[in-house]
Parts: sequence; structure tokens; C-alpha cells
Amino acid sequence: MSCGKPHEVDCSQVLERVYIFIDNELATADCQQIQQHLDECGPCLRAVDLERLVKALVARSCAESAPDALRQRVMFSIRQVQLEISDHRLKFD
Amino acid sequence: MVAAARCRPVPVFSTGYLAALDRRQWPLPLPVMTDQPQTESVEERTARFESDALIYLDQLYSAAMRMTRNPQDAEDLVQETYAKAFAAFHQFKQGTNLKAWLYRILTNSFINTYRKKQRQPAQDPHEQIEDWQLARAESHTAVGLKSAEMQALEHLPDSDVKDALQQIPEDFRLAVYLADVEGFAYKEIAEIMGTPVGTVMSRLHRGRGQLRTLLADYARERGLLRDELKREVSP
Repeated sequence: MSCGKPHEVDCSQVLERVYIFIDNELATADCQQIQQHLDECGPCLRAVDLERLVKALVARSCAESAPDALRQRVMFSIRQVQLEISDHRLKFD
Repeated sequence: MVAAARCRPVPVFSTGYLAALDRRQWPLPLPVMTDQPQTESVEERTARFESDALIYLDQLYSAAMRMTRNPQDAEDLVQETYAKAFAAFHQFKQGTNLKAWLYRILTNSFINTYRKKQRQPAQDPHEQIEDWQLARAESHTAVGLKSAEMQALEHLPDSDVKDALQQIPEDFRLAVYLADVEGFAYKEIAEIMGTPVGTVMSRLHRGRGQLRTLLADYARERGLLRDELKREVSP
């Protein structure tokens, strides 16, 4: 799966590591190699951009606001547990 | 069926906080710390927990929505998570990653309670996407197609992206969510999900491949992306 032009790093190696690259999990040196390849290779750049786009779409689509009622319930739970802890300390401390 | 009043008691209350700790239903990732707990009053600990942990409420709720697929269960799950987290908060080491710790409790609570309850078998046809379909992502022979796909995906509404996410297998979905929405590092995702890093990478790989295939399907259904095969057949 090469674009036909000679590269220091082969296209297939770049495409194999596309997720690790966009997730910033590659070592700096490997990142530079891939970045250099992307500067030279339009098709690979588009492949990387497409994966970045999907990542961004997921991030964009999933933000929800917790309902106010949930915040109240959570605060209430915390107070309940706090009471249990206080009771326990009174008994054993 | 009418939804019953949603104030299901959290297990921590019904059995007592120490009992909940003893059962160790969720693996606690950190060793017991003795830094501050004995000198900190319960009230101080509560105040610290509320100021440090409650800021993640929206995020945990969003994640719970993706896990349980409905608001009622998501609320129950988040409430349970906070109760358990507070009960174990004296074991949390200050200065380490509180968000990851909360996500770990959330994930384990989900696996232990809700996944069992839901028991959803592989109900959709997309779960078994063949590798040859994924292989499309590996090739970049069709440059024009790729640009068209990008333009189409950009115009998809959020609801389609959420629907597509719901259709990929749960472990894949969670890995993708933690990486893309929360930006957790692979190592953190591995800790949250209790799996090796290699498993996280493979879940991300397969999950994203399936997600892209589904998103392209949605784009085609909306007429944002033409079906290239059909076009070739027609005159």
C-alpha cells in the first residue's frame, strides 16, 4: 500500500501506527519520522486527518450535562456515607 | 411501563460502608495510605472530596450514559460511584490522578452491577465486522474517496455519532471513549479497564475501525456520501 514514491519510512508502517501517532503515544523520535513522512506524502496525511476527525467527532458528540437532581442525589449520598463514617469512629475510636 | 421513582438505595448504605469496603467489589488501585486520614476530621474529608471530586460530575455522567445507554441507569451508576469513592477516599493518595481513580470505580461498578443486569447479547449486525472491511482503513489507494468521506463525516449530527458508538462492542466503546473524550493515556486506560496496554491498543484499533465503517454508513443513509459501488453500476 505505497503511494509509489520512495520514503524513509514506508507508507504501510505509517498507517500501521496511525492510532498510536494521533493518540500521542509514540516516542518523540518516531513521531518526527512520521511527521516527516506526512510532510512528503499526501495520501498518508489524508488518512491521518480522517482518523483525527473521527476522534474529534467522538469528543464533540459525547458531552452531556448531569441533571441538577443527580447533583442533589450525589451530595445526599456523600452525607449518608459521612454519617456512617462518623458513627463508626464514635464506636471504635 | 412507568419508570418508578429513581432513588434506588446505593449498596453502600444498605450494608454499611465498612461492609462495602470489605467486600472489595471494586478493585482499589492504590495501597492504603496513612498520610492524612487519622488527623483529618470526617467533615474536612467531606469538604475535600466535594471540592476535588464533584467537578467531574458532568464527565462521569457522560461516560455513564455511554455505558448504560439510558439516563436513569446512568444516574444510578454515578450516584453509586460517588458513594463508593467517598467511602474509600481515605485510601486515595492525594496528588495522584483522582479523575482516573473515579473512572476506575465507575467502570468497575458498571461491570459488576449494570453489565450483569443488562445482559445484552450481540444484537446488532455490525458487531461482527469482518477484517476485510477494516482493511479498507489501512489502504489509501482511493484518495478521492477519503476526502469525500471526511467532508461527509464532518456534517454528521452528534446523535449519529452517539448511535454509532452505541453499536460497537462495549469494551471497544469504552476504550474509544476514554481515549477520545477524556484523553486518557493508554496506560491510564489499561488501569481503568484492568487490562494490559496491548489489549487497550487492540480495542482502540478495532473499535475505531468499526466506528468509521458505521459512520460512513450513516453518512450514506443521509445522502452525505455516495455509494461508490452503486454509482459504478448505474449508467
